[in-house]
Amino acid sequence: MPSSDTQPVAQPTPVRDLRIGVYICRCGGNISDVVDVEQVAQASRHLPGVAVARIHTFMCSDPGQQAISEDIQKEKLDRVVVASCTPFLHELTFRGAVARGGLNPYLYEHVNIREQCSWAHKHDPAGATAKATRLIAAAVGKLHHVRPLDQVHLPNHRKALVIGGGIAGLKAAADLAARGIPVLLVEASDRLGGRLNDWGRVFPSEQPARDLVARLVDQVRQEARIEILLQSQLTAVTGFIGNFQATITGPLGPAGQAHTTQATVGVIIVATGFAPYVPRDGEFLYRQSPRVVTLPDFIRGLGEADPQAPSLLWQGRAVRSVAFIHCVGSRQLDGVHEPQPDGRINNYCSRVCCTTTLQQALAVKRQFPGVEVFDLHQDIRTYGRGHEDYYIQASQAGVVFFRYHGDEPPVVQVDPADPDAALRLQFKDYLTWGEELILPVDLVVLSVGMTPGNALVGDGDHSLAQMLKIPTGEDRFYQEIHPKLRPVEVSVNGVLLAGAAQGPMNIQEALSAAGAAAAKASAMFVKDDVELHPFIAAVDPELCEGTGQCLTQCEYEGALQLVEQEIAGQTVRRAQVNPGLCVGCGACAAVCPHRAINVNGWTVDQYDAMVDGLVADLAQPAAVA
Amino acid sequence: MNTPQSIQPSPNALVVGGGIAGLQAALDLADQGHRVLIVERRPSIGGTMIGLSKVFPTLDCASCITTPRMSAAAHHPNIQILTSTEVKAIASASGADSGAKSGGNSGGNSGGNSGGGHAVTLLHHPTFVNADKCIGCRLCEYACTSEYPDAFEQDLGAIRAIAVPFTNAIPQKAVLDPRFCSTCGACARVCPTDAIEYDQQPTTLTIQVPVVIVASGFQLNSLTLKPQYHAASSRNIISRLTMERLFSPHGPFGRVLRPSDGKIPDSVAFVQCAGSRDQSIGVPYCSRVCCMYAIKQAMLLSGALPVADITIYYMDIRAFGKGYEQFYQNARAMGINFVRAKVARIEPGDHDDLNVHIESVDEGGPPQQRRHDLVVLAQGMVPQWDPAAQTPLQLGADGFVAVPDPLAPCRTNHPGVFVAGTAAGPADIVDTIAQAGAAAMEAGRFLRALSPAPAALAPAPAGESYALV
Repeated sequence: MPSSDTQPVAQPTPVRDLRIGVYICRCGGNISDVVDVEQVAQASRHLPGVAVARIHTFMCSDPGQQAISEDIQKEKLDRVVVASCTPFLHELTFRGAVARGGLNPYLYEHVNIREQCSWAHKHDPAGATAKATRLIAAAVGKLHHVRPLDQVHLPNHRKALVIGGGIAGLKAAADLAARGIPVLLVEASDRLGGRLNDWGRVFPSEQPARDLVARLVDQVRQEARIEILLQSQLTAVTGFIGNFQATITGPLGPAGQAHTTQATVGVIIVATGFAPYVPRDGEFLYRQSPRVVTLPDFIRGLGEADPQAPSLLWQGRAVRSVAFIHCVGSRQLDGVHEPQPDGRINNYCSRVCCTTTLQQALAVKRQFPGVEVFDLHQDIRTYGRGHEDYYIQASQAGVVFFRYHGDEPPVVQVDPADPDAALRLQFKDYLTWGEELILPVDLVVLSVGMTPGNALVGDGDHSLAQMLKIPTGEDRFYQEIHPKLRPVEVSVNGVLLAGAAQGPMNIQEALSAAGAAAAKASAMFVKDDVELHPFIAAVDPELCEGTGQCLTQCEYEGALQLVEQEIAGQTVRRAQVNPGLCVGCGACAAVCPHRAINVNGWTVDQYDAMVDGLVADLAQPAAVA
Repeated sequence: MNTPQSIQPSPNALVVGGGIAGLQAALDLADQGHRVLIVERRPSIGGTMIGLSKVFPTLDCASCITTPRMSAAAHHPNIQILTSTEVKAIASASGADSGAKSGGNSGGNSGGNSGGGHAVTLLHHPTFVNADKCIGCRLCEYACTSEYPDAFEQDLGAIRAIAVPFTNAIPQKAVLDPRFCSTCGACARVCPTDAIEYDQQPTTLTIQVPVVIVASGFQLNSLTLKPQYHAASSRNIISRLTMERLFSPHGPFGRVLRPSDGKIPDSVAFVQCAGSRDQSIGVPYCSRVCCMYAIKQAMLLSGALPVADITIYYMDIRAFGKGYEQFYQNARAMGINFVRAKVARIEPGDHDDLNVHIESVDEGGPPQQRRHDLVVLAQGMVPQWDPAAQTPLQLGADGFVAVPDPLAPCRTNHPGVFVAGTAAGPADIVDTIAQAGAAAMEAGRFLRALSPAPAALAPAPAGESYALV
């Protein structure tokens, strides 16, 4: 590979006579408790082109941002650096402040002196201070080579694709359609409503789940703006926010040919839900004894039970006692529980099982007062509105509670002397100070947790996560962009999460998440075009010689191509960027022998300047390169 | 920032409360093209969240993630904010008479013409500072001679009688508290813009608005609610929000000290369910966030005071949210003591210490008492605002706003009035954010049904897209 040393390289022309403002954040004390911000400000004032260096307690606060906007006006600043926390949090905040001051928002550099300085070098204040100073010097160096950029504007296709016809998908579709936004709703099974179709009553309203499903399905079916595709799956997707091209494959037709639908949509809402945890064969004797069932099985069974029957029957046998075991497939511990097939353990709480279990325990007691009901839990997590009432009422109705420790799960055994006799449930009960108990029970109900919906973990490269490039967390659920403040957004622009695809949640929570996702989608369609950041590759036709090396490195299909152009009467081939498909990864820029292709805002020249800034002798103000 | 005089007419929606729920609902609605008025009773938006130190389970600094939302709302072209203003009543309007009726000295508010909807009566409290003139220079604050306990610092620090409420407050406008003002005139003498107005009067105004989102939040029930905990007789039994301020690097002390004598505590107890799950005090429900913030505070404490002994007395650990159980297990691994016991009594002991009386469920044995330097009570969440008397809203048995339709978790009994966040029951921040988004969606649907034409959008300034990374 030719090295840039031997090739003609475009000499950067730095912008001279800049007036750069440097703003250093104390972050309350998160930064200034370690980094000597006064010293950093002092050093910054000596950097080339720096006109102002100020310190603020919270740069992100309104007065902090105001200081930037005002200085741009008063001090005639033309470039700005903020040294604060990670750019993930506040780069856009400060670009906004820069824009409000009347400057192009891309004449801005963000320096992370919290995660990369004060937090990383907590025990080395001098080192953290020096590093902060050098990082600012690098940013200032870069700003000498930065020019205004404009956002990329692309048409916005006013249509949403909702994947999953469960409660969350239905709600998101209904919300969007009610706002006048066309929706394509894709459901893998042959009916809408998802898991809720097989549920009994929902807590805390105690309304039959199927009534709720029916109401929501009615709303969706009456909406002319919603197109429903059953037994269909997303099989391919290209594009980006505002312009996704989706291929949906439907069921096989009579000729054995699968029907495919192509759609262009602006936004994709992923509502693929959850799947109940399926215990391993033999886990608590599951699949080895017919008297060990999961909670969803039990709910279905109880729903089908004759309400007039004098006693609870399970598969024709009278049940005199039922034990519910909480946290099956949830809250698993390393070294105690066998890992799942992917080698991980389900160390998360599934959130809904405690209240569902108590609801069922109470239902048994109410319907069949003679049946003994036992509840084996670690903690009772009836956290939500109306949930604690189930705990109180179950206690009052005579449900007997036992508490086991997570590292000593209960053991279910068949009586060796009499396999037809009741099962034996053996455990240590910590409500009676660790007493060893053996409980004979006729039926064991495993309160299984939630795992991600099938579409998520399924077939490798064609899983939704792969196709849409959505990250998943340690728990295998889709990973939101910020677990506190942005629960329905993911790191892929234009893709949103609704419901239990993001993590365990109950019906009301899933409905709220779906509403929140719909609100974000609806906001996106307020404008006719999509604004994308300008940090994508750009070709300098003067320098490009059409070697095509950039194409060999590009991983994004269609983002780069060689096109024939007329230059000075000659037909030549030059690289061309598709702004919608380029993600700005920079792989092309790294291999171009002529520095002809660069990522806007992150050019090779700018990197050079940053390196120069980093290694400059700070005592002697560095000359502008 | 807005004053009653400068409110632009006819907002599409009024949001009651400028905490994280109200801000998020307002942003999500404004981003859909609707004009929103946020009404906040305190002099700054930001709610409870802006006073927190760090949040679970990410341990992000709360200021760092709240201030951008506050700022985004303050700068949004579709959002107006009215602080120091209470909602006195919400009434269903007849529809024909939709001009705003102003009282007091408010003068020229032109009100709305949205037709029908709700007549919301607002009471704007005097701040004794002309908000249009105040430039937030704080010269008045520096000149003021009168100090009083600072509620933002949970009364541990002092604030001047005239002051900008706190460092990252929005708006950055001085507010004078007449209860503590000595009327010495120092502030008026130093104010460079003649903004001090000692004769301001309360202003009543009525806004006609088609949609209301109630995001009035929560308060903690009293520290002294359980007499057997003797919180009234020890300064070292503190509220969890006080603990948040102790952790905050810019809080009253800048570090964790116990209030009675400034000692660095070496043994701290967290007493859970000290105001919830307790039928004896009329709060049978779970307050939902206390387990997680106790674990968070315990973790922060063990970082701040590595040798301190930290104990959490609990009934059940309710680490139910995403990443919460893992957070709990990490805390156990860090050596924080989790003792399953409902604390029976707390008695003041020698040297300002406290004796916590318990019966350990896991260990068994006779009742015991354990000595601690500092006790943090997990008070329960109760509604901040009781709208029952002044509005058509129905409340649940727990006193929070009722949401009768299980398919619409943000819809109240009253058409066009929605609810978000802890006004509808205890919720943590992430659940509040989701609810606020859902409330904005419900409100957007309602507005669209009233007027099917697409909403006009005031363009956001460049770079204002706070929601995109």
